[in-house]
Amino acid sequence: MSSDTALRAEAVGKRFGRRGGWALRDCSFRLPTGRVCAVVGPNGAGKSTLLALAAGLTAPTEGSVTVLGRTPAAARPRVGFVAQDKPLYPQLTIAETLRMGADLNPGHWDDGHAARVVAGGDLDPRARVRSLSGGQRTRVALALALGKRPELLLLDEPMADLDPLARHELMGTLMAQAAQYGTTIVMSSHVVAELEDSCDHLLLVGDGRIRLAGEIDELLAAHRRVTGAADSAGLGAHTVVESRVTGRQLSALIRPAGPLPGDWRASAPSLEELVLGHLRNPGAPGLHEGSAA
Amino acid sequence: MTAALTGPAAVRRDAGKPRLTRWVLRLHRPALYAWAGLVIAVAALLLALRGPLADAAAEGWRQYDACADTVGCAYDQDAILRYKDYYSYATAALNLLPLLVAGWAGAALVGRELESGTARLAWTQGTSPARWLAVRLAVPAIAVTAGATPLFLLHDLAWKAGRGRVDTAKEWYDRFTFFASGPTTVALALAALAAGTLAGLVLRRTLPALLAGLAVTALLRGAAEAALPHLWPAVTRVSTMDQGFVGSGLVVDQGMISRTGAHVPVPPCDSTAACEAAYAGLTGHWNTYHPYSHHWPLQLTAGALYLAVAGLLALGSFLALRRITGPARTARKDAA
Repeated sequence: MSSDTALRAEAVGKRFGRRGGWALRDCSFRLPTGRVCAVVGPNGAGKSTLLALAAGLTAPTEGSVTVLGRTPAAARPRVGFVAQDKPLYPQLTIAETLRMGADLNPGHWDDGHAARVVAGGDLDPRARVRSLSGGQRTRVALALALGKRPELLLLDEPMADLDPLARHELMGTLMAQAAQYGTTIVMSSHVVAELEDSCDHLLLVGDGRIRLAGEIDELLAAHRRVTGAADSAGLGAHTVVESRVTGRQLSALIRPAGPLPGDWRASAPSLEELVLGHLRNPGAPGLHEGSAA
Repeated sequence: MTAALTGPAAVRRDAGKPRLTRWVLRLHRPALYAWAGLVIAVAALLLALRGPLADAAAEGWRQYDACADTVGCAYDQDAILRYKDYYSYATAALNLLPLLVAGWAGAALVGRELESGTARLAWTQGTSPARWLAVRLAVPAIAVTAGATPLFLLHDLAWKAGRGRVDTAKEWYDRFTFFASGPTTVALALAALAAGTLAGLVLRRTLPALLAGLAVTALLRGAAEAALPHLWPAVTRVSTMDQGFVGSGLVVDQGMISRTGAHVPVPPCDSTAACEAAYAGLTGHWNTYHPYSHHWPLQLTAGALYLAVAGLLALGSFLALRRITGPARTARKDAA
């Protein structure tokens, strides 16, 4: 089980402070290795908490997180993490930052790889981190995370504060990493469109719960966007995620439990429709691996 | 990404211990240089106090004491004042040192890293957060000990150079002198380091951690001043009414002796007649105090207590870190 599972959560809950609210509750999912996984959800949904739990930066209040078959703490040398604000030591130069990476990751540091990620951004290794732009910092932070040759790479909002060109470059670097080394990549974003083309796995987080988890293709295939006459019966047998009546017409996002009635027009939803449909309707039953029939 | 694929051979295989120490030194290089500069400057001042400044002041006092009357007495007043001033500067520097360490530890060493997120960067490298903290406590502890130890020894020498020669020299139990001239100085600085670290880990922000580190250190200092007379068995000397109080040093308590031999407080009185009446039934004085020979026992006891506090604060820091990051090595859950 451990060899093909990059990340596994079992009934994970995280509460900040004894009387604080739950940032995450009852989260269970399994992410196979080799996937590029998008963690999507609105701001404050618990995405960062989820990534911090996987990185071993914080401990779950309940449940357990397993990373590469171990505890997050034990998996630390094999996991790369880039936090949302890309923290780096401002007083160090880029070259020093990478040397620090080598010193703090003995036995599994790849100098050449880290240097190439930096060089790909046309950065002067002698430049101090404090003089870098947002996109340049992201690149250095990524170089530090990739230099340790992670088997699992966790990126919290990597696209935030990057211009379109830098986003494109970043995705290129990440996709090359995944293709070359089979690195499992988990990245969060609150913008679905950013991740749609590059990711093959989805974790949709809303209100601290996992709403959808699984391969994007399978999730899309499990849902249909249907329209029909509002007075015709027939949707009761299916799981209705969202439905809306406009005049005499009803349109809905459903998970069919069987064949659809012939008088309904059905089409495949887009990923964005799927995500928004679930986020707008927190009461709709989620779909996780295992819960899919 | 380039086509130049790198095999596993390119991965450094110098599997050894992570080298954290050099990066603590690198990240805090300005602080280290400033610390070295401060130690050198104060050491130079103390050496000057011990040698030429104390000699000149002693000569000044010798001239002054040789004068028959103060009118027209020629003596080197400047030398006397210079010794007194520089002595208080050096003493103040050593007294402020723990506060400096606490503020730096709270703000720069830990608070800033947690506030800016660089701590999370460090914790997601190949080393455990506990190790990150251990190095952040150990390296500054060594630097503080290495710097403050020669300073308190030199301060003790500078003080001894004036003792008995400079009439205005501070007594050993003067509170600022006491906390500058013994191992207590180093121990308090180490407790301050741990206090600042704990404050940084609990508050996770630079400025609050700085202030909390300072507050805890000031509190520790105040507590030691209050407890100091009771940290070692004191000496009690009894004397007759005519002798007055006998024995000089750090006074714990004083009083008078009644006809029955009981120790009673000095009765309040404000005129000669009233005092004679009040003292009528009393036979002598008693004085409980610490003579100079208790200097080192008191220093070592207070120092040991501070080291114990430092240990507790360091333990608290590790617990605070554990509260943030979770146990370093949890037993593997049965993830079936």
